Amino acid sequence: MSVSIPHEAGAHQHPQLSFLRKYIFSEDHKVIGIQFMFSGVIFLMLGGALALLVRLQLGWPHAQVPILDKIMGDGSAGGRMGYDTYNMLFTMHASVMIFFVIIPLLTGAFGNFLIPLQIGAPDMAFPKLNMMSYWFMWPAFTIILISFFAHGGAASSGWTSYPTIASISMPAGQGFESPAQAGSGWGQILWLMSLIFVGISSMMGSVNYITTIINMRCSGMTLFRMPMSVWSLFITAILQAFALPVLTVALFLQLMDKTLNTSFFLPPGTLNFGNWQTGPGGGQTLLWQHLFWFYSHPAVYIMILPAMGMVSDVISTFSRKPLFGYKPMVYSITGIAGLGFIVWGHHMFQSGMDPRLGTGFMLATIMIALPSAVKTFNWLGTIWQGNLTLNTPMLNALAFVSMFVIGGLSGIFMAATPVDVYIHDSYFIVAHLHYVLFMSTVFGIFAGIYFWFPKMFGRMMNERWGKVHFAITFIASNGVFYPMHILGIAGHMRRIADPEQYQFLKPLMPINEFMSISAFVLGFGQFIFLANLFYSVFWGPKSGRNPWHSNSLEWTAPSPPPHGNFESPPVVYRGPYEYSSPEGEEDYLPQTTPPGETKPAGEAVPQHA
Amino acid sequence: MQKYWSVLFGAVITAAVGLFVVAPFMGWWLPRNVSSFGGDVDLLFYLILGITGFFFVLTEAILVYGIWKFSSDPTRKATYTHGNHKLEVLWTIVPAGILVMIGIVQVRTWENIKYQSRMPRPGANTQQIEVVARQWEWRIRYPSPKRMASWRSDPRLAQDFGAVPHQDDVHVPNELHVWRHQKGEEPQKVLVHLKTRDVLHSMKLVNLRLMQDAVPGKTIPVWFMVEEYNTSLHPETGRWVDGFDPKTGHWNQKDYVWELACAEFCGTRHTAMKGKLFVHKNRDDFLEWLKWAEAEDHRRTPAVPSTEP
Repeated sequence: MSVSIPHEAGAHQHPQLSFLRKYIFSEDHKVIGIQFMFSGVIFLMLGGALALLVRLQLGWPHAQVPILDKIMGDGSAGGRMGYDTYNMLFTMHASVMIFFVIIPLLTGAFGNFLIPLQIGAPDMAFPKLNMMSYWFMWPAFTIILISFFAHGGAASSGWTSYPTIASISMPAGQGFESPAQAGSGWGQILWLMSLIFVGISSMMGSVNYITTIINMRCSGMTLFRMPMSVWSLFITAILQAFALPVLTVALFLQLMDKTLNTSFFLPPGTLNFGNWQTGPGGGQTLLWQHLFWFYSHPAVYIMILPAMGMVSDVISTFSRKPLFGYKPMVYSITGIAGLGFIVWGHHMFQSGMDPRLGTGFMLATIMIALPSAVKTFNWLGTIWQGNLTLNTPMLNALAFVSMFVIGGLSGIFMAATPVDVYIHDSYFIVAHLHYVLFMSTVFGIFAGIYFWFPKMFGRMMNERWGKVHFAITFIASNGVFYPMHILGIAGHMRRIADPEQYQFLKPLMPINEFMSISAFVLGFGQFIFLANLFYSVFWGPKSGRNPWHSNSLEWTAPSPPPHGNFESPPVVYRGPYEYSSPEGEEDYLPQTTPPGETKPAGEAVPQHA
Repeated sequence: MQKYWSVLFGAVITAAVGLFVVAPFMGWWLPRNVSSFGGDVDLLFYLILGITGFFFVLTEAILVYGIWKFSSDPTRKATYTHGNHKLEVLWTIVPAGILVMIGIVQVRTWENIKYQSRMPRPGANTQQIEVVARQWEWRIRYPSPKRMASWRSDPRLAQDFGAVPHQDDVHVPNELHVWRHQKGEEPQKVLVHLKTRDVLHSMKLVNLRLMQDAVPGKTIPVWFMVEEYNTSLHPETGRWVDGFDPKTGHWNQKDYVWELACAEFCGTRHTAMKGKLFVHKNRDDFLEWLKWAEAEDHRRTPAVPSTEP
């Protein structure tokens, strides 16, 4: 990594640090952000590999793949994937992607990197806490990786880990095996422990972000002069701070159910597993679902709001036009976050929860489409009559908008309770969640990486290969996820290892096969991105301070910024989106340009389009 | 040249719309509906599909056109505007109205399918079945023909079916037998007492547009009413077989086999936890089958019938 400290800048405040303090146990928000980014990218490869194995099974359920028994062991004897193996794969794919890729990339990587730079602060409010928040991820990384080798395999009860399948283990003293499902013994215990560490890490991060944004904005940086990235990360941090404790508690309760014979989530009486019996008392199975979704529904917004913010910045910059409706955009994010706390029940319409509650949750859920629609219209308004530079970050941002429309609209089907009776837990929901989490968020992450890479490393990524990567990803990912809508409409259940078991699913097998082929194209296409990323870190062309002629504060700092970020504390005079202002001679006016001046301050550098 | 990226966006969106147009013709669409409320569910589905489809095409068309029309031109400067208050109000109020409307029209159907108050009361005219899910099969309990007859003489005796199994109740795994409701006649509703003995399961019947989770420690009532039948006495085997097409009088595996799936992940063999729905033409046919099943059940488990919940 080439986050280095130039001699002239900031060196007097920040003496040269040892390699270990500078790159490993760093307190510099940028280094921590980049650490989160690379960890996230590595786990993205793991999560992607798990997804490809899932698609391998669904595309060709009866195929014999010679290497499978070698990598999967006895569970896949003869090269045919065993059901337990498949169950582990979809469980761990989701767990890895959500807790080790998307959340760390959005809040960990971009939150850390962008917040101080965009509000003109030298660092986070609590740099040591910040370092801890990254290093608390390492026990989580280690435990989750070890769990693949645990007795019975890694967790296999779905990323939702519903009791009782996930929460039962044998009575104390008989080993932590599960009578209900392979992988819900030791694998599940390790899964719970790992997630507790992730939760603690995120909580430390979110407290830090909130404090930094409230207290450390530079002179002139009012709340309504903050770029949308900061706004979205701010709201996200608040969501995390309020929702995560609930999940953490629920994880502890399930851990106790599994190891100490408590019965928070186990009903009184006996369950049908040999000599197994519930401990004293008796709890509620549905309680877990309430606690889990009370966090995990806001988490859905945690996993998309930062991408929305970043995409707003990218689209405004490359449309050379102010963000359309800045304040409505801020209010929409706040609205999504607020409503996000009262819609968790829509995951439970068919769960046995009182259906009268379902009616209330439905109305709240349907209304959450409103702020999302307002955001979409404002992005379109930003593009309209702009002067679009269609480079890699912009293309990815436009893909975000285009795909978010699909993900947003398909959500209305599930929100409508009677329609949900039919499509609940079908591939329609799998399509919906991937359009939000993959097609939207991941395109947003790509846009963010291509856009801020020059600031992170002082070098540009390769534009040509960036576009090739974009085109492959855009086409192939639609090939994987779009047909899932059709499968869902035809009744295809999710989480089944072998669709050919059902007569009404047999005609759908050609679609499954097509999706699997697209998935492999998509998966292998990502190596272009990885190669581009790692090559450009070392050998990309130098970028200068402001390659995109962008307005927000981070572009006035050197690339990469030194420890302490700015040569002198910046002063902000205007909003972040003053593009093509009639006031200016150029088509941009950085936030630091004082009133009356017409030229952007700072070094002039050629724009890389 | 940059503007040609809009073609990529346009092509992908066109393909997406195209798939929805061809899918029904390829047989990749909603399975045949046979339940009384399934038509309402389908109608609401098509309503949402129409509205979302319209806005999907509208927004994507604006996006694709915008990419084409406004792509980089060094001679032009972007319009400097921070927004438009009237537009913001317009595109907040209009979607809000549509969304509220979508929400309100759902309520009646939802109430009808799931509310406790809409469940058929146990009585002489209600078919009662207990479905107990377990890893990985559906244990289904029917009242014996004798018990059913007693309900006719005293409907109050039907109250305790869900809670109290009788010695002579009939147990059949993975086969859900009911009889048809003929339109215009007295409703022949089915009341299912849904339970599970181990983990979460979910009873999903795509042809009925019905799904309900089974939760350990709870008994959840589920109702439906089937308006077509698919089961008849097979002339060659002498057994009651599904897949019967009443219109043609032939066996049609494609449209007249109605499967029961587990739709909530329940462990290793979740994917194989399936059953079938057998709908008899009328009560008499059902009773014929039930007598046969009773004999089979006694033959299988002569001494100790299961009395577990």
